[in-house]
Amino acid sequence: MSDGRAPGRHNLGTVISFEFRRTVTKPRFWLISLSVPLLIAVVVGLIALSGQTTAQRVESQDSASVTFTYTDASGLIDPAVAKAAGGTPVSDATAAREAVAAGTSQCHIDYPKDPLSQPIDVQGQDLGLFDSSRYNAVAAAVFQASIEKKIGDPTLAKLAIHPPDVQLVTYADGAPTAGIAGVIAPGIFLVLFYMAVLMLGNQMLNVTLEEKENRVTEMILTTMNPTTLIVGKVLALVGIGIVQGLVVGIPASIVFGLFSSSLGLAEPSAGVPMLGSFPINAGSMAIGFLLFLFSFLMFTGLLVAIGAVMPSAKEAGNTFGIVVMSMFIPLYAASLLVSDPHGVVSQIFTFFPLTAPVSALLRNATGGLYWWEALISLAILAVCGWAFLILGVRLFRTGSISYGSRVKIGRALGWRPGR
Amino acid sequence: MAFGDQVVIDDLSFDVRAGETFGLLGSNGSGKTTTIRALLGIYQPTAGSLLVEGRRFDPAQGSRLGYLPEERGLYRKESVIDVMVYFGRLKGLSRDQADAWSRTFLERVGLQHHAKVRLDKLSGGQQQKVQLGVTIMNAPSILILDEPTKGFDPVNRRLLMDLVDEQRAQGSTVIMVTHQMDEVERLCDRILLLKDGRAEAYGTVAEVQDAFGGRRMRLSFSGVLPDSAHYRVAVSERNYAELELPEGTDTGTVLRELLDAGVQLRDFSTARVSLEEIFLKVYGDEAVAA
Repeated sequence: MSDGRAPGRHNLGTVISFEFRRTVTKPRFWLISLSVPLLIAVVVGLIALSGQTTAQRVESQDSASVTFTYTDASGLIDPAVAKAAGGTPVSDATAAREAVAAGTSQCHIDYPKDPLSQPIDVQGQDLGLFDSSRYNAVAAAVFQASIEKKIGDPTLAKLAIHPPDVQLVTYADGAPTAGIAGVIAPGIFLVLFYMAVLMLGNQMLNVTLEEKENRVTEMILTTMNPTTLIVGKVLALVGIGIVQGLVVGIPASIVFGLFSSSLGLAEPSAGVPMLGSFPINAGSMAIGFLLFLFSFLMFTGLLVAIGAVMPSAKEAGNTFGIVVMSMFIPLYAASLLVSDPHGVVSQIFTFFPLTAPVSALLRNATGGLYWWEALISLAILAVCGWAFLILGVRLFRTGSISYGSRVKIGRALGWRPGR
Repeated sequence: MAFGDQVVIDDLSFDVRAGETFGLLGSNGSGKTTTIRALLGIYQPTAGSLLVEGRRFDPAQGSRLGYLPEERGLYRKESVIDVMVYFGRLKGLSRDQADAWSRTFLERVGLQHHAKVRLDKLSGGQQQKVQLGVTIMNAPSILILDEPTKGFDPVNRRLLMDLVDEQRAQGSTVIMVTHQMDEVERLCDRILLLKDGRAEAYGTVAEVQDAFGGRRMRLSFSGVLPDSAHYRVAVSERNYAELELPEGTDTGTVLRELLDAGVQLRDFSTARVSLEEIFLKVYGDEAVAA
C-alpha cells in the first residue's frame, strides 16, 4: 500500500507538501502577501502623483505674478530685474510691513545688508500653505537674477550658486568599488530578513504550537518521528517564505526598475558589476545571502523552541514580541555600527546571537564586516540555530502533550527524551 | 516510568497476543494512559520497551499502528478530507488511496457531505468519527483505543464498536483502555487491572473473575439469612440478597443451609462475579477519591 520510499523520507515529503499546500491555498495568505506590494504601489503612486503636483505648483508659482515692495540694504538687487518681477522699491520698511499687515500691500521683501549671514525677510498676504511659498520663490529669483546680472556671465553665476556635481570613484584591491549605491544590493538581505521574520514569525511559532493547541500531538508522535515533523514544517516555511518573497520582490523590482533614475543614485564607475540598476559586490552578496539564511534558521529554531514551551499562541505571542525587539535594538546603534564597524560595541552586537543577524547584515551592506567576522557570526548563528532546533524538537517531544500548560523545561529535559 | 521522583508505572510487564482484544483497566490516575504513552514512546520510560513481534516499536519505521488517544484532536482549521489524506499519506498510503479510503469511510459514518468542511465546523461527535477513521486507516495490525467511546451517544457508540469489531475480524490486535465494564466483558479476551502503576490482576476475563470472589448467588426470598462460613452477604435487602461464594463452594450445600434455617426461596441464580463488581472491589475508595 505504500509508495515504496523509506518511511522517514516519505513522511518528510508528505509534511512539507501538506504544510506548504495548506498555507498557500488559503485566501488569507495571498491577501497578506499581496497587500505588501499593493501598499508599495500605492505609496509609490502617491509619491509620483505628489511629485507631479508639486512640480506643477512650482511651475505655476514661477509664472504667477506677485506685486511687492522691497528695500535693499545689500545693494545687490538690480532695480530693473526687481521691477520686471513686480517689485517697487520703498525706503520705509516699517510702513511697508504695516501695509502688508493691513492688507493694502500684497508683499514686502527686505534684502539684508549681509545676505551671507542674514536671512531675506519676506512678509506677505496669506495665500495658503503651498501658494504662500511663491513669495519666497520671487524673493530668491530676484536675488539670483540680480547676482547673475552683476557677474555678467550666466554660467559663472549658476556655478557660484549651485556647485557642480562630484562623481567619486574609489578603488579597493585594484578594482573600482560601488560606493554608496553598493549598499543597496546587499542591504536587500537585511530588508528580506526583517520581512521574513515579521511575516513568518507567527507561523514559526506555530510549527510546534499547532499540534499542542489542536491536541494532535499523540496522533503525530505515533505516526512519525518529531524531528521529521519539525524539519518538514521548517522546510515548508522556507518554501512559503520564498513564495512570499517573490510575491513582494517581483513587483518591488519592477517598481525600482521603473523609478531607479529618480532615486538619485550616482552613476557607478565602469567595471562595477550591476544587479539591475544597482552595483554589486559578489563577496558582499554571498556573505549577505549566507547571513540571511543562517539568521532565518536561527530565529526559526528559537521560535520553534518557544512554541514548544508555550501552551497557546496568545502566550507565545508575548515572547515573540521580545524576540522582535531584539531585532530592532541594533537599529538604535546603526550609526555606531556604520561609523565604527570594528569597535567593541559593534563586535558585541555582531557576535551576540539575537543581535547578530541585523548587525552583521548591516555591517556587511555598508562594507564594514571583515571576512573573519562574517565567519564567526555565521558559525554562531549556525550553532545557535541548530541548538534551538534540537531543543525545540526535544521540548516538543516531551512537553507538547502538556496540553494547556506551559512546559517546565528542566522537567521536560529531565525525562530523558529519546530519538 | 517516573516523572521526577514520582514513580507512576512500576515493574509492569504483559503480553498481548496477536489477534486478541486486550483490556487495560484501572481507575482514574492508575496509570493506564501513561502506560500506553510509555509503550508508544510518547513518554520515554525509565526502563523497558514495547516489542512488536520481538522487535522494538518505532513509529518512524512505518509500523502499522492505529492509536486513538484519550485527548482527541486533529488540525481543526483544515478540511476533513485534507486531514484524512494527510494522515493516510503518513501511514504509507498513496494520495489516491488515502483519498478513496477516506471518502468510503465518510460515507460509512454518514459524513460524506462533510469532506470539504473544516473540522472545527463539525460537532464533537462528528470530529470523533473522523478521528476514528484516521486511527483505523491502512488496516492497522495493532489498534490501541484509549477510552474509545468517550463522548459518543449510544448510536455512535454502537457504530464505533462495529468498526472496531470489523478491524478485529480482519486480524487486528486491539488494546482497549476503558471504564465501560460491559464492553470489556463483551469484547475482551484478556484484561489487565492496573492499580498504582502495578498489575493488580492479569489474565482472561474468566481467570480474573475467578481470582476475585468466584461466583455470586442472587436470591429472592423471605425470612432471615443465617450466618454461614460458606458465603458472605454482599447485598442484603428485605427480600433480595447477593451472596459471594468462595471458589469451590458447592451451591447445593448453601441452598440446603438456607432451607434448614427456614428461609423460603422464591428464585435464585448463580453467576461469576461481574467485572464491575471486581472493579469496585479493587478500586472502591480510590475510585471515589479520584
